[in-house]
Amino acid sequence: MSAVTFDKVSRHFGAVRAVDGVDLDIAEGEFFAMLGPSGSGKTTCLRLIAGFERPTAGDIRIFGEPVADLPPYKRQVNTVFQDYALFPHLNVIDNVAYGLMIAGQGRKPRHKAADEALEMVRLGGYGARRPSELSGGQRQRVALARALVNKPRVLLLDEPLGALDLKLREQMQEELKTLQRQLGITFVFVTHDQGEALSMADRVAVFNEGRIIQVGAPEDIYFRPEVPFVADFVGSSNVLPAALVARLTGENCPAAIRPERLQLAEDGPVMARVTGLSFLGLTTRVSFEAEGTRLTALLPQDAPRPAQGDLVALTWAEGDLHLMRAGL
Amino acid sequence: MIAARSESIGTRLSDMLWRRPAVLLVLLLLPPVLWLGIIYLGSLFALLLQSFFSIDHFTGLINYRFTLSTYAELFTPANFDIILRTVTMAACCTLASAVIAFPIAYYAARYARGKWRAVFYLGIMMPLWSSYLVKIYAWKLILAKEGILTWALEGLRLNWLLEAYLSLPVVGGNSLSVSTTGTFIVFVYVWMPFMILPIQAALERVPGSMLEASGDLGARPAQTFRHVLFPLALPGIVAGSIFTFSLTLGDYIIPQIIGTSRLFIGQAVYQHQGIAGNIPLAAAFAVVPIVIMGLYLWGAKRMGAFDAL
Amino acid sequence: MKNTFITAVVSAITAASVATSALAQMTEIGEGEGQLSIVAWAGYVERGETDKAFDWVTGFEEATGCMVSVKTANTSDEMVALMNEGGFDLVTASGDASLRMIAGKRVQPINIDLVPSWSSVDDRLKDAPWHTVDGVHYGVPYMWGPNVLMYNTEAFAEAPTSWNVVFEETTLSDGESNAGRVQAYDGPIHIADAANYLMFHQPELGIEDPYELNADQYAAALDLLRGQRELVSRYWHDAFIQIDDFKNEGMVASGSWPFQVNLLQADNVPVASVIPQEGATGWADTTMLHVDSENPNCAYMWFEHQLSSNLQSDLSVWFGAVPSVPAACTDGRGMQTQEGCDANGLAQFDKIKFWKTPVANCESQDECVPYYRWVSDYIGVIGGR
Repeated sequence: MSAVTFDKVSRHFGAVRAVDGVDLDIAEGEFFAMLGPSGSGKTTCLRLIAGFERPTAGDIRIFGEPVADLPPYKRQVNTVFQDYALFPHLNVIDNVAYGLMIAGQGRKPRHKAADEALEMVRLGGYGARRPSELSGGQRQRVALARALVNKPRVLLLDEPLGALDLKLREQMQEELKTLQRQLGITFVFVTHDQGEALSMADRVAVFNEGRIIQVGAPEDIYFRPEVPFVADFVGSSNVLPAALVARLTGENCPAAIRPERLQLAEDGPVMARVTGLSFLGLTTRVSFEAEGTRLTALLPQDAPRPAQGDLVALTWAEGDLHLMRAGL
Repeated sequence: MIAARSESIGTRLSDMLWRRPAVLLVLLLLPPVLWLGIIYLGSLFALLLQSFFSIDHFTGLINYRFTLSTYAELFTPANFDIILRTVTMAACCTLASAVIAFPIAYYAARYARGKWRAVFYLGIMMPLWSSYLVKIYAWKLILAKEGILTWALEGLRLNWLLEAYLSLPVVGGNSLSVSTTGTFIVFVYVWMPFMILPIQAALERVPGSMLEASGDLGARPAQTFRHVLFPLALPGIVAGSIFTFSLTLGDYIIPQIIGTSRLFIGQAVYQHQGIAGNIPLAAAFAVVPIVIMGLYLWGAKRMGAFDAL
Repeated sequence: MKNTFITAVVSAITAASVATSALAQMTEIGEGEGQLSIVAWAGYVERGETDKAFDWVTGFEEATGCMVSVKTANTSDEMVALMNEGGFDLVTASGDASLRMIAGKRVQPINIDLVPSWSSVDDRLKDAPWHTVDGVHYGVPYMWGPNVLMYNTEAFAEAPTSWNVVFEETTLSDGESNAGRVQAYDGPIHIADAANYLMFHQPELGIEDPYELNADQYAAALDLLRGQRELVSRYWHDAFIQIDDFKNEGMVASGSWPFQVNLLQADNVPVASVIPQEGATGWADTTMLHVDSENPNCAYMWFEHQLSSNLQSDLSVWFGAVPSVPAACTDGRGMQTQEGCDANGLAQFDKIKFWKTPVANCESQDECVPYYRWVSDYIGVIGGR
């Protein structure tokens, strides 16, 4: 069964088309990521699911039920906010128990449930503290516990890891994933970080300018971008323009090739001039310019390194060049 | 060679202050601290001292001997009435101000943008620019028996409503301008900006996501108000109520021009000090609002009004 | 409030530092000191700034070189407070303030021999008890007038003959009750008006002087005033607010001063005034000299000026009062006329009980209720006690 479906959903703010004719189908139990640059409409889509926004056009269903007229407090979804939105006047346990208090549960059972939820996010014993006394990562877990304690059928996460430092972020990615497997709830996760989306999600929807450009498994998105935008935004792939691809393959369409797949050679199909080198540790990133197109290659540390200004030949294995649709 | 010797005094002074920032701090803070300490607290202390003296009732000269008799005078029925009346009025005004100010402040903090924001601030602040007395006399004309309000209600054939209200005991009277209700209306009007602005400031510090989170967790708007918005706005409401409450406690102009001629604390202070020359009793009366405000703040703190600060 | 604090402190400090001075009176007038400060009722010391026609200061300053400054006071109590603070030379004190200042030793005896025009003062005022104690004069009479009953001529077909229209509920000739349409003075001395009314209507109480009341008489007066509270929506103490109330609040009767009557009539409001059968209270003001005055020579020059110049005549027109020098009504030194003096109450002198301070140790009976009780009890009456 589908957890969330969008049917030609649009949300316009005056002349701005924040969401523009989006079709979407999120399966129950799925870890679904919405990926895109800021202003691409991914957060608005999340808010449409939560009920904070109402669609200008189109139809949204949650578990088959149309929700156009359903206010947020009647939807079986819960949200982890980007800024966590913990209530500063309540301590941690009352923050977590808030939803249960609203639902009319007595003090004892709701505190017990909240304690368990805190246990689950490994914050047992923090109940008496104020949100202001917690670190960013701890607040993030409280926000998570506060949402999960209500046993939502869909959990919405709006850039939940954005404010954390790198190490904590990687740790939380693991934890979220584990949690999702454990609970079996549908997670809808908004992020602008392609690494995060690819590493965590079962499926990724790439947003740009209010539309979904491509939906697919992380491998599909990464290795088989359908359009140049996805290739560039998700994989930092080299995008070869249609004219160049036509000369190389005879197909008149753009193509993508991953930087780590480009190799230097004595002779090759493309001649390029080296415009920059930067040392990245395991690899060296080399920038080229070839026939008006900027290309990037990641060379292993043991490969011969060209010098700035050299004219070199570039080559790749057959199958590394991935043909795409024209368009975005 | 460093040309230290040729530097001007100003430069050397700047260097010295840079090396010793504490000196600069002391220089900057000394005048205001002296002002606050000597002029302000000093006068307050002198006032307190006065309240322990008494007055010779015939000559009007002050008897400089320690006594509590002046405080005992506060509890004579007539004087205690004044205190009770003033505190009740202050409480009612504060409550009404908060109820009226909240939606206005909420609108300003959440929805007013750009031009409307400017219009809002102008609308709130403008009454503060005109003279306090002018406003009160204007209200006297509005509320008078043959005033604008009566005239307007007559036009709407609703003056029976006003008549019915004025026939009520305590709040009614011969006309609004000579009734307790009139005093109340003018107090609420005059202090309103002092309530709106702190509430607005408090509401502006509440992120929109906080309210969305509450709704997301199942709270209806009324529940969100009760459990999130109100507690978070409470410091602003308390700040505003400190203004409206203490200003009402101390005012002596409004009840003199609008109302039933029954005295308020401010008037009692004014009459006993300025007119009757009974400075000890005036001082004792002036201590009353200080004590009440102290109790009020203590109570507010105990109720957790400042927890969200 | 802060203002009040500071004033309180300043006045406290000054009061504390005032040294007691010997009560010696002047024996001769020397050179003027060049300045003179007077605590006065509003409108009492005019220099042509409010209305060009009314100026009795400029001439004095030109003749004597004493530059006059004025501190306006609104009530007798305020005058006493100001003189207790010190720093002023003269005060135009009413009878309910003068004795208090004499008792408090804030004013000095006056040598009437140094005031040549003293002989022109109304004989009935020369030794008046509100400025003469044990035969010693403490001031020079300034101006007097009655507290008249002002009424609206549309509500009253005929002039009311009794103060009962402001003390007891009654139906007026326009067919409506007087409740909510009358006012009373917002000062403790108004208790004397009630006593004056009782003196006429309840002779069994034995009131001889409305300012000298024993406990029973005093209680009866307060009872009358409690009944009046039901009729009065707002008490007046600011003349201009009373004027506004007669215009906009539908007020039809109140004790008042000729001052308000004149201003309202000038504005074509249908009001008139009368001194009813019970008589009336009134005020007789006396110029008194502060015990520590630094400008006594200028002060004595003012004493003479206030009796001999256009002051008596013009001020009585301006304020709706009666001159203390009867000749000022007729001798053309100013604008006043015999008709004007009569209208302002000259002939009613005997019907008027002048304001004086109620004291415990009174003349007409053993013991009277003193003024401080009047103050607190009147606050209580207005507060509904």
